[in-house]
Amino acid sequence: MTVGGQTGKVRLGDLVLVALVVVAAAASVMLVSAARAGEKGSLVIIEVNGREVKRVALGPGQAARTFKIETGDGYNMVVVDGGRVRVKEADCRDRVCLGMGWAETSGDNIICLPHRMVIRVVGRRAPNGVDTVVE
Amino acid sequence: MAPTRRVTNLALLVSVGLVLGIIESTLPPLLPVPGARLGLANIATVIALYLYGPGMALEVTILRCVLGGLLRGSVVGLVLSLTGGVLSTLVMILLVLLGKRLFSVVGVSVAGAVTHNIGQLGAAYLLVRQVALFYYLPYLMLISIPTGLFVGFASRRVINSLHGISLGEV
Repeated sequence: MTVGGQTGKVRLGDLVLVALVVVAAAASVMLVSAARAGEKGSLVIIEVNGREVKRVALGPGQAARTFKIETGDGYNMVVVDGGRVRVKEADCRDRVCLGMGWAETSGDNIICLPHRMVIRVVGRRAPNGVDTVVE
Repeated sequence: MAPTRRVTNLALLVSVGLVLGIIESTLPPLLPVPGARLGLANIATVIALYLYGPGMALEVTILRCVLGGLLRGSVVGLVLSLTGGVLSTLVMILLVLLGKRLFSVVGVSVAGAVTHNIGQLGAAYLLVRQVALFYYLPYLMLISIPTGLFVGFASRRVINSLHGISLGEV
């Protein structure tokens, strides 16, 4: 049985197919991020100006600790308490980071724009493949 | 098609697929995502499908995946590429049977690339049982579009050139 050799021009169905793949990929992005959002964060990564300055383990067993993060433009007092993290005090002008409250699930961020500081909570697996950090 | 001729053409297509796979393995990876490949070897399957029909396409795929796996010496790789290859060939056959008015070889090839990645990822999941594998799915699907288009346009050139040349009773 043969199908023959005519391959033809690009058809409407081809375009529909490509569009469907894009939609399916977008849907799977949402599914994946929804699946990851539920994960409890296990690591806090603090970045200033896009550069990582500190990483702290998160988890129910961790005692409360406070870190002073000095940035070129001021400081932020970051509290890591058990499985969550927040900014307690800062000398920035808008104090938005204080109002962001506790971050605890993977994917949560606390951002202090004036100091260009980002606190990221990541899940079981850190982006660089580190499983956990022991201090 | 005479049996000798058929066996010869099948062997030629399988060889083309194997060589394309070897050439591809010397190229740097497209993305830092496991399984993201150009899929040049699929050109052999697409040509077989359009010039000789579904049976030949399936035979080319199975033979090139099994032989390629043995040549690379990786049983896991063999299982992954065979699963992806067979699934993608079945989907491409289905689209061709649905009609050439609907899909050209380019669309068929894109569908083949996407389903190859899905089949391969599914097989990988069954092997390692890590849900985290599916985090790669969106990237693999998106990369399938350009790679599928490339393979589709390349195959179209070959098919149009070979069509009309005596390759047996095509």
